[in-house]
Amino acid sequence: MKKTILIASMLLGLVSAVSAQTMSSSPALYQAFGEKAGLVKLMDDFVPRLQADPRLAEAFKKANVDNLKSQLVNQICQVSGGPCEYKGPDMKVAHSNMDITKTDFNALVEVLQQSMDAQGIAFSSQNQLLAKLAPMHRDVITVK
Amino acid sequence: MKHSSASSTVLLGTKTAIKATALAAGLLLGAAAQADTGKLLLTGGVSSIDGAAGGGLTPWAVIGSNAEDGEIGFSANVTAAKTQDYGLKTYGVAVGIQNRVELSLARQDFDATPAIALNGIAPFGVTPGQHINMDIVGAKVRIAGDAVLDSDSLMPQIAVGVQYKSVKPGSIGSVLDFLGTKTSGVDVYVSATKLFLAQSVLVNATLRSTNANQNGLLGFGSGAPGKNSRSIVPEFSIAYLLSKNVAIGAEYRGKPNNLEALGRAAGLGGGLKEEAWKDIFIAWAPSKNMSLTLAYVDLGRIIPGITPKRQTGVYLSGQIAF
Repeated sequence: MKKTILIASMLLGLVSAVSAQTMSSSPALYQAFGEKAGLVKLMDDFVPRLQADPRLAEAFKKANVDNLKSQLVNQICQVSGGPCEYKGPDMKVAHSNMDITKTDFNALVEVLQQSMDAQGIAFSSQNQLLAKLAPMHRDVITVK
Repeated sequence: MKHSSASSTVLLGTKTAIKATALAAGLLLGAAAQADTGKLLLTGGVSSIDGAAGGGLTPWAVIGSNAEDGEIGFSANVTAAKTQDYGLKTYGVAVGIQNRVELSLARQDFDATPAIALNGIAPFGVTPGQHINMDIVGAKVRIAGDAVLDSDSLMPQIAVGVQYKSVKPGSIGSVLDFLGTKTSGVDVYVSATKLFLAQSVLVNATLRSTNANQNGLLGFGSGAPGKNSRSIVPEFSIAYLLSKNVAIGAEYRGKPNNLEALGRAAGLGGGLKEEAWKDIFIAWAPSKNMSLTLAYVDLGRIIPGITPKRQTGVYLSGQIAF
């Protein structure tokens, strides 16, 4: 039992350390993505992948590519702590007239992971960004 | 192609494996008829030895298979563990429904050859090379939270589960009768799982209500003065994602110690003491439909009266999931 308590308190310690870290946002993440230039490169890679992915092509084939890229650059720049302001539509409004399942949402995450891999972004930085994007599932997923 | 991958996963050519394969193939055909399933890699966990999705030794709050909301998915696994004196093989299948409900079946085959030494304590009639078999039927329901996507909150995914276990001890039955244990039991558990995505760390805590001895392989409860009532035992897993498809981690599974007092009263000292299980593992998902888990396990001492060494060794598990 003593051992159990020890392990439990170690886990609690870890969880509180982890959560303290989660709550703070830092431009270090923006830098890890190569700042604005890196994000432009990332989205130049990501948007064509979205349009080529059989699971997502339908949703993105008619998108205005340049507009989508620049909005994504601004959005990721802002959430990663960079000096940008995302002026595009609210996530809920932008997706309200589409049928988006959790599987669709996860498919987009997978394609983003492919793009981040292709750009050589460290896995730990990838997850820090995904942690900031994942809560958007509440607004993006319309089929629950 | 889904058919053949199921068959090749079930490597062990016993009757059980054939049955499991037939069942798996049937379920796969059902699963193949469904739409594509969409969990992110490894977020459905691997298969635990009791059949539930989780780590290797303990269940997590995740629902097994690749199925998300609105989908039905399926998984099958084969697991083998070998320690100094004992061996365990497990075959399991699970169905995940709507990322809400998980139903699982597991069959365990425990090589209890050293139990022959019990004949030296009393004429139990244990036969050479005796195995203990156990079937586990499990159900798990996710009741709250999203372990993966709610990364801006500390709220974990929470699930409750139940496992009905029925053991067939063969010639060791006379020993279990002597100990006053029952041959079936029910475990009830609650699990909380949280992926700290920004840190790539997954944490699980499970509380289990059980009266099982060595997970049920040595029956359930104990005759007096052993403990016949249920215990609440804690189980923990922690995993660190090295990449999208590789995780390393450690687990701890607390256990009741029902039989020790009975053993002491029978003059066996601490010969029936039961200890916690632990492991360190690496899990690799080469594709969305397959994972392999390799672990170093420390199962503590198992019936130290006949096998006094700590039981440590290798654990290997393969899973397919759709």
